Parts: sequence; C-alpha cells; structure tokens
Amino acid sequence: MSDDVMISLDHVSKRYRGQKVPAVENVSMTIHRGEIVVLVGPSGCGKTTTMKMINRLIEPSSGRITLDGADVTSLNPTELRRRIGYVIQQGGLFPHMSVATNIGMVPRMLGWDRRRIDARVDELLDLVGLEPGQFRNRLPQQLSGGQQQRVGVARALAADPPVMLMDEPFGATDPLTREHLQNEFLRLQEKLQKTIVFVTHDFDEAIKMGSRIAVLGERSRIRQFDTPERLLAAPADETVAQFIGAGASLKQLNLRRVGSIAYDEAHLVTSQESPAAVLRHLDESGDWAVLTVDGERRPLRWVGPRDLRPERDTLDGVGIPAPTVEPRATLRDALDAMLTCGCGAAVVVDDAGRYRGVLGIDRLMRAITEMRETERSRDRGVAEASYYRPPMPRTLAAPAQRGGAR
Amino acid sequence: MTATAHRGRTAAAALTPPSRWRTLLRSHWAMPVVLAVTLLATYLWIRSRQLDDIERRSLNADALMRMLGEHLRLTALTTVVVVTVAVGTGILLTRPALRWIAPAATALANIGQATPAIGLLVLLSIWLGIGSTTALIGLVAYALLPVLQNTIVGLNQVDRKLVEAGRGIGMSPLAVLTRVELPLALPVILAGIRTALVLAVGVATLATFINAGGLGELIVTGIKLQRAPVLVCGAILTAALALLLDWLGGVIADLFRPRGLG
Ligand SMILES: Nc1ncnc2c1ncn2[C@@H]1O[C@H](COP(=O)(O)OP(=O)(O)OP(=O)(O)O)[C@@H](O)[C@H]1O
Ligand SMILES: [Mg+2]
Repeated sequence: MSDDVMISLDHVSKRYRGQKVPAVENVSMTIHRGEIVVLVGPSGCGKTTTMKMINRLIEPSSGRITLDGADVTSLNPTELRRRIGYVIQQGGLFPHMSVATNIGMVPRMLGWDRRRIDARVDELLDLVGLEPGQFRNRLPQQLSGGQQQRVGVARALAADPPVMLMDEPFGATDPLTREHLQNEFLRLQEKLQKTIVFVTHDFDEAIKMGSRIAVLGERSRIRQFDTPERLLAAPADETVAQFIGAGASLKQLNLRRVGSIAYDEAHLVTSQESPAAVLRHLDESGDWAVLTVDGERRPLRWVGPRDLRPERDTLDGVGIPAPTVEPRATLRDALDAMLTCGCGAAVVVDDAGRYRGVLGIDRLMRAITEMRETERSRDRGVAEASYYRPPMPRTLAAPAQRGGAR
Repeated sequence: MTATAHRGRTAAAALTPPSRWRTLLRSHWAMPVVLAVTLLATYLWIRSRQLDDIERRSLNADALMRMLGEHLRLTALTTVVVVTVAVGTGILLTRPALRWIAPAATALANIGQATPAIGLLVLLSIWLGIGSTTALIGLVAYALLPVLQNTIVGLNQVDRKLVEAGRGIGMSPLAVLTRVELPLALPVILAGIRTALVLAVGVATLATFINAGGLGELIVTGIKLQRAPVLVCGAILTAALALLLDWLGGVIADLFRPRGLG
C-alpha cells in the first residue's frame, strides 16, 4: 500500500514570519500515485501555502513532507522542483521569451541538446492542442489567456515530471474556455497518469477535476478528504455542507459525464441535401430538426422546419450552429452548451470532433430527476444502500456504452 | 514597440521585425546631424580667426586629440568600473539574504553624489595625491549612485511571480537571475548607466584640477588666460561628447529592450 503513496504531508505547519497565527496548522494527508487531489477552500485558507511547501518554494515551520518516499528537505530544492511540474495562475510565462523558450527552459537546464529540446517543445505544443508551427515563436503577449494557460501546462510537463502542482491553473479564463481547458486536461491526464495536486476555490471545478477532494478550512485544516461522490452524498459537517452549497444533487451535474448516459440519434444530412427532402423527412419522422455534418461527419448546424427555404438548392449555412460536447464533459457542461445555443440538444463528438450521438434536454432532465430522487430518499434516511453511483468509473478510462437505438 | 505593431502577423515576422533598424534610424537620426553641424560650424569659426600663440598651443590637432583621448579614457574607465561595481553590488543587494542592507548602501552612494564634485576630487587628492588614479576614484564615487540605484530598482520591479515561477519550475538561482531578472531589469539598468556616462563626461572636465588631463584643460586655459576661442572650443567639445554618448546610450537601450514588454 505504501508503495502507492507519492506525496505525504505529516503534521505540517507553517507560520510566516511576523504572523501570530499559522497559515497552515498541523496538516496531514497522503496522495497516491496517479490521482488528482484537489485542495479547495475559501480565499486565504492556506491552499497555496500548503502546495508550495511540497516543492519547497516555502519551507514548513514544522512537520515532514515526503515525495516518493524521500523527505523533501533532504533533496536539493532545484533538483526537487525539476521532478515536480508547476503551473500557476495566468501561466506565469516569461514575457520576454518565446513560447518555445519558455517550454524548453527546464530541458535546457537539464542539459538536453537543441534538437531534443526542439522536438520536445513541438511534441508538447501538440499535446496541449497548439499548432507548433504557428505558436512556437510567439511571445506570451501574443497569446490569448487560454493559450497562455496551455503553454503553462506544457512548460510544467516539459521534463516529464511524475508530479504536478497546479495553483488555480484555469482561474483567469472565461467559463467556456475554462470548461474546455478542464476537459482537455482530463484527456491529457488519461494518457499521462501524473500525480496531481490541484488548487482551486471553485467547488464545481473541484468536483469535476478531483479523484479526491480535500475541503480545507481556516489554517488549511482538513474538514473532509474524500471522493467527490462521497463528499456530495455525505458532507462531514455543517461547514462543508455550506461550502458545497445548496442542491448537492445539482452539483452532481458536475460529476456525471456525458459518456455515462445514453445518447439519442439525430438524422444526419450533408450541406448538399435539398431543403425539400429535409422537409419531407421532418414531416414524416416528427423530428424537431436534422443535423448537417461535413465530409468527416463533424457536426455543423441544426436545421429545423422554420430554417428551410424550399426555393434554395442546398443547406449551406442554414440553421443554428450545433453545440458539441465530448463524452468526458460533465452534464453541467452539456447543459451550459444547450443554454448557450438556445437549442435543446448537444451533439456528442469524439476526440476528432466526429459525430457520436446526441444528448437531448429530456434525457438530461431525466438524469437530474433521478439524482434528486436519490437525494430526497437519502434525506429521508433510507438512502445509504440505494445511493446512486455514477456508472462511469472515476478513472474515465473508456467512454461509456452508448444506448440510443438507430 | 515593433513587436506589438506586428501582432497577428506570422511568428517569424514578430520575432525579427524587419524594420528594427529602420525604426532605430527614424527615432535617432537627429542628434548626429546636429552634432556634426555644430562641430563643423565651430571648426569653421576657429579657422576664420587669427589665432595667437597661446591659442594655437591649445587648438591644434595633436593637443586636441591628446585631451580628447585622456577624457575618453577616463570616462570609459569610470564607466567600466562603475558598471562592474554598481551592477554587481545591486545584484547582491537584491538577493533575499542581503536585501536589508540595500538602504544603507544607497545612502552611502548618495554621499558620493551629493558632495560637490570638485570638493570630492580635492578631498581625494589631499588623501591620495593628484593624478589620474585619484580622478578615476573620484569619478567612480560620483557616478556610482545612478547605476546602483537603477540596478536595485530595476531588479526589484521584476514581477515576483515570475521569479517564483522560475524557481518553481526548477531553474537554478543563477539561471533565474541571468535569464529572468536581469533581462527584465535591463532597460532600467541601462538608463542608469546612460545617466552615469553623461555625468562622468561632465565631471571629467574637473580632472584637470588634479592634473589628470582631459578636455577640462581647454576650459581652464580659456578662463585663466581669457581666450574665448579656447574656452568655447573646450565647452563645445565636452558638450558634444556628452550628447554623443547619451545618444549612443539611447540607441543601445532601444537595441536591447527585451521583447514582449509593454
Ligand atoms: N509571504 C507571506 N507572508 C506572510 N503571510 C502570508 C504570506 N503568504 C500568504 N500569507 C498569509 O497566509 C494565509 C494563507 O495564504 P495562502 O496564499 O496560502 O491562501 P490561499 O488559500 O491560497 O488563498 P487564495 O485562494 O486567495 O489564493 C493568508 O492569510 C495570507 O495572508
Ligand atoms: Mg492561492
């Protein structure tokens, strides 16, 4: 079992010079290989301080921290940090260096040769979804906030460290970008299987990202350290419950993945289809709309009866853009997507953006009702056994079964 | 700056803006022209006059080159010593362990600058005797402050988050200094050096009082022997030299401004 432990904090405290109360007091926790542990808590509770003690940006006043079995204070700080990726809010990129230089910094410190560094930089840019040819030579100021975050993640991954510390890495982005970055990061993590300590004060983000969540209170005191499911089902005390907020069942929207519920099918047509044929199909089938796709079966637009002009030849540019979600997106993401476009369905796509199925609002509502009923019955005190567990494994391994009948 | 102007173009264009030299030329062409015209006018004016013996002894190519050489040598040496000492000290004084001494050190450097330059030179020569070494020490003491202060300010204004990011990703303290802190502090440090350079050129005219030569000789001769052409020539040469070096400093500062700022 102890082989499995990557990081352990043992009665760790930190009191900043000149402060009466410690910022972190007597924290103990173990973090296992390959899991994402999220530290979540109100502002100023000591999350950042706790995290920075792991890579010794801050030295603990007392207690012991081990990384892979070795006491971190026995290691050279610089060497230690090269084994721990570090991502901070707003990227913390060096403004005077190109994206490539930023990412290649640690490999260069490690004495890799140029060719190897260049290859690694391109590989990492690909990995975080930035086209190397286009972004390699840009300066950070020539990137959007979301792109900067990705470069920050790429830089942290440069020397392939087994451990990553991420301090509100997606904090400064708008909700849609953040959701996108979260999904991308979860996809990366499926491949990379790093041990990750993730700091946020957004509880929804914690539920989405965490294998386990530590809810911290004043002075980083651990109020509860549990899986998202158990945290939502059984908050340890009033404060945690308050922090989770009202409607734990709705929070489960952040927990259940699109891949875990059955999809419907849409009638797919290409843009070349004639409006008349589509009208006929809609009449006969009673569908509310058809979905136009491109040659690769990537969804384009929803086309309903009111969008159709029989006098036109094709469906080019007709209808409203179809919102897409990946199977690993949460139901909350799907709901957001539907609300944003104002249509009652999100198209589920695979990694390459190809059509896999449709998640309709009615299926979503059914899932919500189900969750609320479970919660209600639990509140009546009969729930323990029947507590609903999402069918999707937390490792996110395989995108789940698809149900919709053709 | 050019980098921003090219935002959105291809990355290569942003990296090496083709117009960097042209931009430099456009913003810096005036000073050399003004200086050339002034020097030419001075030359023609002196040529048009009947010079007497005393004037001729000072205003001939050999003497002028010697004095200019002495002046430049003194200024250059001062700059080298000042940059080494002040930048080095500034770096040390911004390391966490030594940060607390910084106020005392700047106060000390302040004494050097606040003392009237001529007084400082005279005091030093009483102590160390006259000659160019004494002049050098005096000039260094005088020009140290702007560089020291700007080095400290420049390094301290570097975003702490970036320094921490550097350490956090595993850069050694030296790498953080040379690759993050110094490049980002460079514009401020260069501004300090530029100020010091101009100060040094001006104050080096006083070196003649302790027998260390330089263009000050012309000025002093001009005043003492009431020879206007000699005095004017000395003043103009000194001013032209100061302006030229200031101009050079400006060009260098633009040339080395880190990309990606502002
Ligand atoms: N360098 C420091 N010196 C003194 N006190 C500090 C220092 N850094 C943080 N603190 C204090 O320690 C406490 C915990 O700070 P910390 O940054 O760890 O909080 P946090 O949970 O990360 O907050 P946030 O969510 O706002 O980032 C705060 O009360 C803060 O004021
Ligand atoms: Mg913080």
